[in-house]
Amino acid sequence: MKRRHALKTLATAAAALPLLRVPLEAQQLSSDHVFVLRDVAATVLPSAIGRKGQDEAVDDFLRWIRDYKEGVPLSHGYGEPRLVKTGPSPAPGYADQLASLQAAAKARGSRFGALPPADRRALLDEAFKAADVRALPGRPDGKHVVADLMAHYFRSSAANDLCYNARIGRNTYRAIRVTTVRPQPLAAPAAGPKPQVR
Amino acid sequence: MPVHESDVCVIGGGITAAMLIERLAELKPGLRITAVEAGRSIFDRENRGTYHRRAIEYGEHPWHDDYIDDQQAKGMISMTMAVGGQALHWGGACNRFSEEDLRLKSMYGLASDWPLEWNELETYYVDAERRLHVAGDPSPYQEDRRSAPYPQPAMPLSYNLQVLKNWAEQSGMKFSPLPLSRNIDKPHGGRGACGLYDTCGDVCPTGARYSPDYTYQQLIAANKVTLHDRMLVRKLVLADGNDAIVGAHGYHQDRPNEVTEYRARWFVLASGQCWSPHLLLLSATSRFPNGLANRSGLVGRYMNGHKFISAQAMIDEETFPGQNMTHSLISREYFRCAAGKPFVRHDTRVWESAAGKEPRLRSGDGRLLLGDELLTEWRSRALKGSSVRLRAYYDSHPSADSRLTLDPSSKNRYGDPMPKIERQLDAAALAREGATMDHVTAVFERMTRASSGRLVSKPVNSSYWDHPAGGCRMGADPATSVCDSYGRTHDHENLFVIGAPTLPTGGVTNGTLTFVAVSLRSADRLAQLT
Repeated sequence: MKRRHALKTLATAAAALPLLRVPLEAQQLSSDHVFVLRDVAATVLPSAIGRKGQDEAVDDFLRWIRDYKEGVPLSHGYGEPRLVKTGPSPAPGYADQLASLQAAAKARGSRFGALPPADRRALLDEAFKAADVRALPGRPDGKHVVADLMAHYFRSSAANDLCYNARIGRNTYRAIRVTTVRPQPLAAPAAGPKPQVR
Repeated sequence: MPVHESDVCVIGGGITAAMLIERLAELKPGLRITAVEAGRSIFDRENRGTYHRRAIEYGEHPWHDDYIDDQQAKGMISMTMAVGGQALHWGGACNRFSEEDLRLKSMYGLASDWPLEWNELETYYVDAERRLHVAGDPSPYQEDRRSAPYPQPAMPLSYNLQVLKNWAEQSGMKFSPLPLSRNIDKPHGGRGACGLYDTCGDVCPTGARYSPDYTYQQLIAANKVTLHDRMLVRKLVLADGNDAIVGAHGYHQDRPNEVTEYRARWFVLASGQCWSPHLLLLSATSRFPNGLANRSGLVGRYMNGHKFISAQAMIDEETFPGQNMTHSLISREYFRCAAGKPFVRHDTRVWESAAGKEPRLRSGDGRLLLGDELLTEWRSRALKGSSVRLRAYYDSHPSADSRLTLDPSSKNRYGDPMPKIERQLDAAALAREGATMDHVTAVFERMTRASSGRLVSKPVNSSYWDHPAGGCRMGADPATSVCDSYGRTHDHENLFVIGAPTLPTGGVTNGTLTFVAVSLRSADRLAQLT
């Protein structure tokens, strides 16, 4: 009953939110994959940003994938410069990774987001180890879509603000005077995340 | 063979060329000036917001095609070759050298003196600061006297830097905001005001941080210069029967088999510390078998700049990384060395930092962190004190064997050997390396004593020399220098070398303002002669 209720709630939410708000090329992620990714996001992104914020983080990630360009020179660096270009899109493996994750979740009796927290952690731990994900990548690198989603969010200016509970706005347009005083705190809900996964 | 004639042919399209041309055009209206630059013009300022965003999100280089694959040097600190040069993506730091930099020999018995007086150079610093619209506060050290105020007050210190200034000054040293070539609160010179995007070293979306592409566009629009970009000058041509330069041979990237001859009464080599001596060496003739302007044998020698020592510190004070990562504090406490003390000179720099405070996927015991747990662990580190980045650029006097040579193992499409730069300290500088490290470490440790601070690790020396210069050093004696104090070569009366290559030593702080100041002085001299 509880599970049925959760699924119903999710279906209602899904109807209200376009699952694929960011147009993607067909070979990248289907709406089913994006559905899974949004489901996982609720576990791997902070609760303080709310379901809406988590969906927006997924949208930003999808937009990042969509706009990725291969073979573009990266910053040459300074001091000991070298020419390095962006590699292949990290996206091609994402669909399989999400399908595997969902299959593994179903093998435990449910979709990912409806599993007990310990199971969710175990599934991701296993997936990350299999993909040799040892740390958050600097930028999405294709090893695992969930680690890439996490890196994309947690390395963002918004996440930096959330961490410090302060309106810092790193790398965004700001008036200089705003930076000369202690940054204002974020709105109240951001201040105190309650651990979600045990 | 296409021929292009002008009064002054400037080879190179970076910041010193821009400033020289601007000044020359003011002093001598109507003078026909041509600038020849190997790289391309990147004048698409309307796209810089997009480039900024993509640099942040994807790490993409914001200056597309600003390099030439087969025109690269070993030991060069940047690949950029484009109109605007490396100042397309500099931070905008505009520190002055100090009087001691010009008098190392006479004051300390080290390296060599520069053949110009500080008071005269100071007036060119004022002009350079005006042109670059520098924002700065007067130095708290009275020895750093100046004859005119900065064009703008210093960029205001962020909350973080205010905290760090209070912390750093407990060491007894005085710190001030780094002077910056940025439009602080309103547009100036066709460039916008600062939006604190904090990506000055990559690309400035508003143009607030000065870059020479703006100057070139303005000069071109006013018909003050003819710019030939994507044109590599491979050779300077000597006159028959005398030592004047009569031409420069350029090769356009799209027409590699066609020679364009540039003829002019005056030639100005403004290609920086790497490509200026390189062209002189490449242009060897039977009368100048070691390269043009090289009777002294010093072209490509005394390559300088300065090494630096870096460290990270942790302190108790609370800061909020990301407020203004590209602004910093500077102390000029050790720009001068008291008589009778072991010689050491350096600047001291302080930046906010997020080092060690990045989000982590796993806890210390290897547990996977997800969602709120990750955030909680991150906060446990991030909110506990602050990380501080420290650096000291120190006096690194070059030996004569600090060299740029032609590397036969690396050639461009034409078969020209590319430059190889190998810097070396002179014997005295080498001998004091350990003492310099000890001194700087002690300074950093003294700073960290406040606020329960500590150095996170042992300070480390740089793997390269920053703010490189030299290779065509100025001097009064043709036997020991390549050019006079104006950059006019001793061997060719109508050939100037300007900016960084002419510096005998590289100072102890960012060099660009000095490169510009000496170039403006060259422009004045050239205007007198034309």
